[in-house]
Amino acid sequence: MPQAQAEAQTKETPSENSSRDRILQQIRAGLRTVVPEPPALASDRVIFEPVANPLERFQQECVLNLMECALTADRAASARQLSQVLQSLPEGEIFVQDDPSLRQLIEVAAPGRPIRWSSQGAPAEASQATITLADALIAQTGSILVTAGCGGRGASVIAPCHIVYATVDQLVPDLTTALSRASRDGILDRNSFACVISGSSRTADIEKILVQGAHGPRRLVVILQRES
Amino acid sequence: MSTAAQRFLQDAAIKSADLLHREVIRRGMDSYDAAHLKGRARIKDWEAARQRCREIKREAINHLDRYLLQFEEKVIARGGHVFWAANSEEACTYVKNLATRLGVRTVVKSKSMVTEEIRLSPALEKAGIKVWETDLGEFIVQLRDEPPYHIVTPAMHLNRSQIAQLFREKLDPAIDSDDPVDLMAVARRKLREAFFAAEMGISGANFLVADAGVVAISTNEGNGRLCTSVPPIHVVVTGIEKVIPRLEDLAVLWPVLATSGTGQGITTYSTLIGGPRRAGETDGPEEFHVVLVDNGRSALLADAEQREVLHCIRCGACLNICPVFRHVGGHTYGTTYPGPIGSVLTPHLNGIKEFKHLSFASSLCGACSSVCPVKIDLHHHLLQNRRNATEAGATKSSERAMFRIWRAAMGSPSLYALGGWTVRKSLRLLYALGLAETFLDPMRVWNRYRSSMPLPSESFRAKWRKNRAASSS
Ligand code: SF4
Repeated sequence: MPQAQAEAQTKETPSENSSRDRILQQIRAGLRTVVPEPPALASDRVIFEPVANPLERFQQECVLNLMECALTADRAASARQLSQVLQSLPEGEIFVQDDPSLRQLIEVAAPGRPIRWSSQGAPAEASQATITLADALIAQTGSILVTAGCGGRGASVIAPCHIVYATVDQLVPDLTTALSRASRDGILDRNSFACVISGSSRTADIEKILVQGAHGPRRLVVILQRES
Repeated sequence: MSTAAQRFLQDAAIKSADLLHREVIRRGMDSYDAAHLKGRARIKDWEAARQRCREIKREAINHLDRYLLQFEEKVIARGGHVFWAANSEEACTYVKNLATRLGVRTVVKSKSMVTEEIRLSPALEKAGIKVWETDLGEFIVQLRDEPPYHIVTPAMHLNRSQIAQLFREKLDPAIDSDDPVDLMAVARRKLREAFFAAEMGISGANFLVADAGVVAISTNEGNGRLCTSVPPIHVVVTGIEKVIPRLEDLAVLWPVLATSGTGQGITTYSTLIGGPRRAGETDGPEEFHVVLVDNGRSALLADAEQREVLHCIRCGACLNICPVFRHVGGHTYGTTYPGPIGSVLTPHLNGIKEFKHLSFASSLCGACSSVCPVKIDLHHHLLQNRRNATEAGATKSSERAMFRIWRAAMGSPSLYALGGWTVRKSLRLLYALGLAETFLDPMRVWNRYRSSMPLPSESFRAKWRKNRAASSS
């Protein structure tokens, strides 16, 4: 692969892509045609109802998104919650993002479970669950924002159950806030991947009937801790 | 060989009379309608949202070169590759050569209408590469060797028992349930093998975000996630018009796309990918390629009336609401993009001569324009395409002759009266001879499905004169 990769790199430099310049020329030629612009949207129009109480809204949206959200007081309560969730799952390996806070939690909550840490590589196909942190929680849509830094790409999609450990102070009111922060903090310059996840995987491709658990997790569990 | 227009008419007649098809589509559309209305009610000012989305797309399209270059620069800086393809052939060749060079034998694909447009899968299969469609609906139509029926829900024309039967024939004769949960489980098991065997994942993109230099992919099933996480190579194939200026624009585009597509508040996985796996990351493809497909799109920029057709975010709302689509179904169009947007776009992409009939596959009711989340004036564009076809000389000489006669008659009252008299008399004679609905009957198309129209005894003008005389006396 490395050799092929090097080859690919030299082969597809823009200058050797002969259509590139032609397409750009055609675009520029086309844009010379002037299209009259209708008046812009009045700036006082409010598209989305502002989120007054992020925590309450997040919990409501979780219900609509068919995800589980357990509010806990502190780390000990979170550990108890996690251990309950794990006990409801079949035996077998779980995958955990290698982070000190999760290491502490797992020690208490999952003694004896075989564990694969994200530092050891991607989750196995047969993992029973994945446990990760989130970058932010979005109240408006009941979503969690994960990045490659949260245990990688497969960590939120390979296993039948994805458990997210988060704290209330990670909540942001809406998508606009989440995305402008992501922009400002250069999250996408530090991560090759980010995802706004709003529920467990699903399909309605057969007769428009909702089936939970398509190619990804059937369960998405958020353990949301008040104390940070 | 029949023309596209003849095939359209034949298939439309068959589908409109297919009761099972009507029932499946009606049920699907009913549940979409309910979800869509509920979803829209959750947005405080829907009209403002549409207007905002329109402005975002307009800004992007009006500076298409600048935003595409900004996107490209970022992707290349992160070690990704960007290939610009002028047409289908260039795009397919690029992906095929990449696959052969890197020894790819199996490809997993998530839903992408652009790959349908450029016929990517047949091109790869010809090179001996196995291609798995992984979206459940796409997987189903692939097993049936059919194109997608709808741009968002590719298998909405089938009911569960047809799908169960298909799975029994193609996957496992032991399947004894037609519960959608069980059918999904069968597909999941089968496709899991493919995800972990494939060397290349191919996805589309819903948006290309210029300032962040990332592709945005929306999927509910998570198949798009697996396609872009597990295999060592990820190729994005998408149209140049998908670009948007800023990451924050997604704060309105994501909810509006989901609401219009399925009625959801946001698609379950709204993913952003900016390059190959970075050093220190747990997993992800080593190779990341974006293929930007033009294929006739840039030519639309010079069309002052229809440039906005490039704003389309492929949500499918105009298909769902269209009374013509609901009757004739997606396959009848015989095009990659069916429904109102397809009828507008196809003549631009594939030629006005062959596809001008699509401009007439509309009652011009305007329902499509009223739902379009980026406010494309679809039904007026259909009207413009009718005019364009005539101006391009794409009409039949018999049609032109008819209109010349019509114009002459309309310009001369006596000629018009004479024409009316002749038609009334000769139709009366024809029907008296029992020749109604035969090939001699000029009204046969109308009469075939309806009780025949009663012939008036006298002309409208004669009646008018009489009525006026009666009321003034
Ligand atoms: S034309 Fe408008 S309604 Fe139709 S698919 Fe495109 S964005 Fe959706």
